[in-house]
Amino acid sequence: MGAEPQFVDAPTGVADAEPLLSIRDLVTEFKTPDGIVHAVDGVSYEVFPGETLGVVGESGSGKSVTVMSVLRLIPQPPGRIANGQILLDGTDLLQLSDADMRKVRGKDVAMIFQDPMTSLNPVLSVGDQLAEAILVHNDIGEDAARKRVVELLELVGVPNADQRFDQYPHEYSGGMRQRAMIAMAMANQPKILIADEPTTALDVTIQAQVLEVLERAKEETNAGVILITHDLGVIAEMADRVVVMYGGRVVETGTVDEIFHSPKHPYTLGLLSSLPRPDVDMERLVPIPGQPPSLINLPSGCSFHPRCHLGEGRQTCRTEIPPLFELGPMRASACHFHEEMEDEIHRVESTTGTAIEGDEA
Amino acid sequence: MTAVSTPGGMQPVPEDQLHVRAQIGEEILRVDGLTKHFPLRGGVFNRQYGAVRAVDGVSLTINAGETVSLVGESGCGKSTTGRCIVRLLDPTAGHVYFKGHDLAQMSHRQMRQMRREIQIVFQDPYASLNPRINVNEIIAEPMRIYGRYKDGGKERVKELMRIVGLNPEHGNRFPHEFSGGQRQRIGIARALALNPQLLILDEPVSALDVSIQAQVINLLEDLQNEFGLAYLFIAHDLSVVRHLSDRVAVMYLGHVVEFGTKHEIFENPTHPYTQALLSAVPLTDPRMRGKRERIVLEGDVPSPSNPPSGCRFRTRCWKAEDICATEVPELIDRFGHGHPSACHFAEPKAVIRG
Repeated sequence: MGAEPQFVDAPTGVADAEPLLSIRDLVTEFKTPDGIVHAVDGVSYEVFPGETLGVVGESGSGKSVTVMSVLRLIPQPPGRIANGQILLDGTDLLQLSDADMRKVRGKDVAMIFQDPMTSLNPVLSVGDQLAEAILVHNDIGEDAARKRVVELLELVGVPNADQRFDQYPHEYSGGMRQRAMIAMAMANQPKILIADEPTTALDVTIQAQVLEVLERAKEETNAGVILITHDLGVIAEMADRVVVMYGGRVVETGTVDEIFHSPKHPYTLGLLSSLPRPDVDMERLVPIPGQPPSLINLPSGCSFHPRCHLGEGRQTCRTEIPPLFELGPMRASACHFHEEMEDEIHRVESTTGTAIEGDEA
Repeated sequence: MTAVSTPGGMQPVPEDQLHVRAQIGEEILRVDGLTKHFPLRGGVFNRQYGAVRAVDGVSLTINAGETVSLVGESGCGKSTTGRCIVRLLDPTAGHVYFKGHDLAQMSHRQMRQMRREIQIVFQDPYASLNPRINVNEIIAEPMRIYGRYKDGGKERVKELMRIVGLNPEHGNRFPHEFSGGQRQRIGIARALALNPQLLILDEPVSALDVSIQAQVINLLEDLQNEFGLAYLFIAHDLSVVRHLSDRVAVMYLGHVVEFGTKHEIFENPTHPYTQALLSAVPLTDPRMRGKRERIVLEGDVPSPSNPPSGCRFRTRCWKAEDICATEVPELIDRFGHGHPSACHFAEPKAVIRG
């Protein structure tokens, strides 16, 4: 076992805390017959201990490729990490040898995938697979590993954990499989827990169970959690801070409250106004017009400009790539005209008939 | 045509008026005790030893111009119900009355004539379009089948593409050249080609990203207003259901457990399953976090091949008592507010905002 993670009060006082993981200027590309796909184009974000960082974006926004690059699970070729640093406790993961990287995966950085059926081995019992995760990184006996696995399964709420140990993945239901995946991910007290669409394949009542387990896993390990999802409801429920991605770039960062109640990027606002709400009747949704951009030929300037109402007819948006403007500590927006967002919000609110800015609760 | 009067329903519409558009608010579809069992076979002689009781006695009504949603988790039978209504599956028992005519009893030839009034849009826009014919042909196909293409079909295809927000110049392209949202629009255009009165929408937006999903939702709303369509909207996403529906039927393991107006179901649910479902939906407001009581259900949905006796929800229900194991609770209005609930211990409780 490595050093116990320190308990730091993140993220409210993050200014003084050191980030656990910091992704700097990451560029990941894929070579295809049609041209080079710029899946991740200069992404930077940080994760602090004990916080849940939500990463939102639609399909093709690069949110999954970013974390796959962190784990160096990008198939090379056709993929290539062309630039950037991934600092875990000061060590650049991109510089590690393959052997050293294997020691990081599943130990310091663990991952929960979307589809537990394809990420579990169907011909090994669930217990054996979890035990393997422990045995690879720890010098303990098989009996001790089994005991630890049963403990973990109990922790994530698998009933009759001792008997369930010897069952195979097909004997588990979808929710149970995802619990087993979470148990595997937390087996080695990881510093960073990456959950890539962990509940997308699950029904809503099962999703509620699994999210609760994920929250418990975070508390248990004090890991920094990167939660990737396209479901804004899950983000609102789970995340402390949010990174919004579009076309392979970060377009906005902020606390979950800032993102949902005072978005500073038109794309974020577009996501919010596209979303029907379960608790309020909306008059009319305001979708984002058009289609997501092609990552081979990103639009010039701000890649969101062809779909943007705020940038309509503005030269700057078409020609200049907006930098990520710092708006405060951990708060940034990549929009040339982020100062005009208040009017945009009011415009959208009048169509949807619901408030985005909302009262202080 | 089988013209039996529907129990508790309307008189059958005379045949010559079947294809006349119903007035808004008039009942056009009545599903009565619809049941679909899929046989389980095995052994040396391939004998039937059981059945998956996918749909077990579902009843509901749909009026012209309104949206009725079927909502529930995977395996609850909502899609099977939709498919039985258009007879893509033959129901095991029960009746489906379209304007008083029982579709479940019709011959295939009669059913073909009825299908032009009831069209279906599928979930997966990648699997439901033929990849080898171009979009013009896909949209024209229903018209060709009904012999309507010769008479201005070409213009109609262009018009349909415009209606659903596609560029008619792209009619020569093939499905793979379109994105998911655009393909779903093609599917909708095809469904509209014969000017139907009822659309079965089987998870039409589930596979789409949220910004594209909103485009398609708005399109569905516009089409309904323009053509007075009735929708049977099948979905598991409660937020979308709230946005689109007039009335909502909640299904669990082949049964409708609660049926009411959108407002009744979302603000005043009485069945424990509806309440659990609503309390589990994540709200899109971080300020609501931790402020509402969450009903977390234990365990998973039981197998529909061996459903629990009595109330099917009792194995996961915190209110279950002995009576729940022996007596199937009827779907009846228990509080006089006009929305039936199938629970012995039904009790109105607002859960969505805690």
